[in-house]
Amino acid sequence: MKIRLSDIKRAFQGIVPSSVATADSDGVPNITFVSQVYFVDDRHVALSCQFFNKTRRNLDKNPLAAAEVIDPLTLQAYRLRLKFLRSEKSGPLFDTMSLRIDAIASHTGMTGIFRLIAADVFEVESVEIVEGFLTAPVDAPCEDVSIEGARTEMRGLQLVSERINRASDLEWLLASVLESLEEFFNFSHTSILLWDEANRRLTTMASRGYGKSGIGAEVALGEGLIGTVAREKRLLRLSSLEADLRYGRTIRREATGAARALAEEIPLPGLPDAQSVLAIPLTLGDRLVGVIAAEDRDPMRFSEWHEAYLEIIANQIALGIDRMIERGDEAGEDAVVAAAAEPSAAVRCRAKRRLTYYRHDDAIFVDDEYLIRNIPARILWKLLGESQRTGRTEFSNREMRVDSSLGLPPVKDNLESRLILLRHRLQEKCPDLQLVSTGRGRFALKAEASLELVER
Amino acid sequence: MHRCLDPGLSIIVGAVDEHGRPSTCRAIAIDSGDDLETLKVFLPVATSHETIKNVATTKRLAVVATYPFDNSATQLKGQAIEARLASEQEGVFVRERLEAFIGSLRGFGVPGRIAGSLAHWPAFAVTIRVEQIFEQTPGPNAGRRIR
Repeated sequence: MKIRLSDIKRAFQGIVPSSVATADSDGVPNITFVSQVYFVDDRHVALSCQFFNKTRRNLDKNPLAAAEVIDPLTLQAYRLRLKFLRSEKSGPLFDTMSLRIDAIASHTGMTGIFRLIAADVFEVESVEIVEGFLTAPVDAPCEDVSIEGARTEMRGLQLVSERINRASDLEWLLASVLESLEEFFNFSHTSILLWDEANRRLTTMASRGYGKSGIGAEVALGEGLIGTVAREKRLLRLSSLEADLRYGRTIRREATGAARALAEEIPLPGLPDAQSVLAIPLTLGDRLVGVIAAEDRDPMRFSEWHEAYLEIIANQIALGIDRMIERGDEAGEDAVVAAAAEPSAAVRCRAKRRLTYYRHDDAIFVDDEYLIRNIPARILWKLLGESQRTGRTEFSNREMRVDSSLGLPPVKDNLESRLILLRHRLQEKCPDLQLVSTGRGRFALKAEASLELVER
Repeated sequence: MHRCLDPGLSIIVGAVDEHGRPSTCRAIAIDSGDDLETLKVFLPVATSHETIKNVATTKRLAVVATYPFDNSATQLKGQAIEARLASEQEGVFVRERLEAFIGSLRGFGVPGRIAGSLAHWPAFAVTIRVEQIFEQTPGPNAGRRIR
């Protein structure tokens, strides 16, 4: 039976390392493990060239190669007879392979050292199953999309779209998107980060399925998996995160003698033991709006099927977010309405809170614990200062916008998302201090404790 | 360097035919009783036809042993001086090494039931005279000759 490469795509996900054999012009073989053989099409595969190693040098002299790839679910092996065709140093294939490597490199503090030099493209002359590799066949779980499953997901897509269109404020939109992803796609660990042009960072604005919300967590452009997706504005699906990170760390360990200093490893936001990640940029044209990320402990959790669906949903989310930001004042107060919640009895017992604004770091700490920084910190400090000086507790979105000391951008100022962030951070770290809506475009600062303000 | 003889390692071999066409297959175990002057490689009969044919023709064999948990790896290259069916006595060693490898795979979440079905017996025992040993751990030092 003739096997097509597209029939064995699971074997190209990089979950089980593949072996690649080459030979030099003297007929001396060389064998190596590679983390992934990339599926290109039914007649071609590619290998990543990250170092000019023996495999690469052999191919320049003898283009013939052999590879063995393994299906991660059944452990069935397949052998490929290959002929090296060319090295691609740019183009769609290079960009796709490079994104994955850049993301792992950034995550392991290896940016610039662990990088793709070229995508080496091979013609696949033959592919055959390795008969007898297993003494007993292993049944693969059915992963085909059933008609019923497709209907459910089509219906899911429709409902997500409806919810996005119905959303009355940004916070509701983000929460309903994540809720829908769990409801219809069983994505139970998700987050949405929004791009802040003024701060040049991504900020976590909503999350679902984590012990701690992580709201307010920031990622710089190009930093880690999510930062790399944002910088490249390209979807990233990793199916063997642990193996990839282990591979990256090995190179990092081996490269410690390199001249340049290595950056600290950035902890993954979310699951400490995630095995698969799907991160999708939210863009409008070329403009970055944010990133939506999903993770799972199952290394095979995300498939091409999900990529296609979520790219459609991502476009709608980006449009929805942009619509909310455009609405500005009209939407802002609604988000704060939702914020109003009575402090618990335990909270009321707290007599005193010390809030310290560190001017140099542009950050506020509550009782020596980090609360928030940048523009939301300046907003809060303005509110607290006004309140202490004048006794005022009521404020408007408009006065925030016209106060140039806050540093809000003149257009698309994201005031609503900054207020949502501030409210969430107060709920988590200082629940006896709240932002409560008092009407359209207006809100109040409500304190249930006496506040000591310190500026350093 | 001698870490390549530890149990639990993942082992692959490469050979080449008279036309320069490479082949690859998995090995179950490797062993050396003379400080890596020679290396005995155990290849499942079921999956090593092409490799054995190539070894018989060109004598050349390359072997990589990798620690699955940290990717540290060593490559040994040499010429075959003997290729035969492994004995029952050697079968005990092969099965011990298979068990150790299954243990490594379990550490990555591969069910023992699946890993245990890897073909391993009967096996060929191919002995090579080791001519070169290389560092193979991924990174800038990969390919550095260490003996």
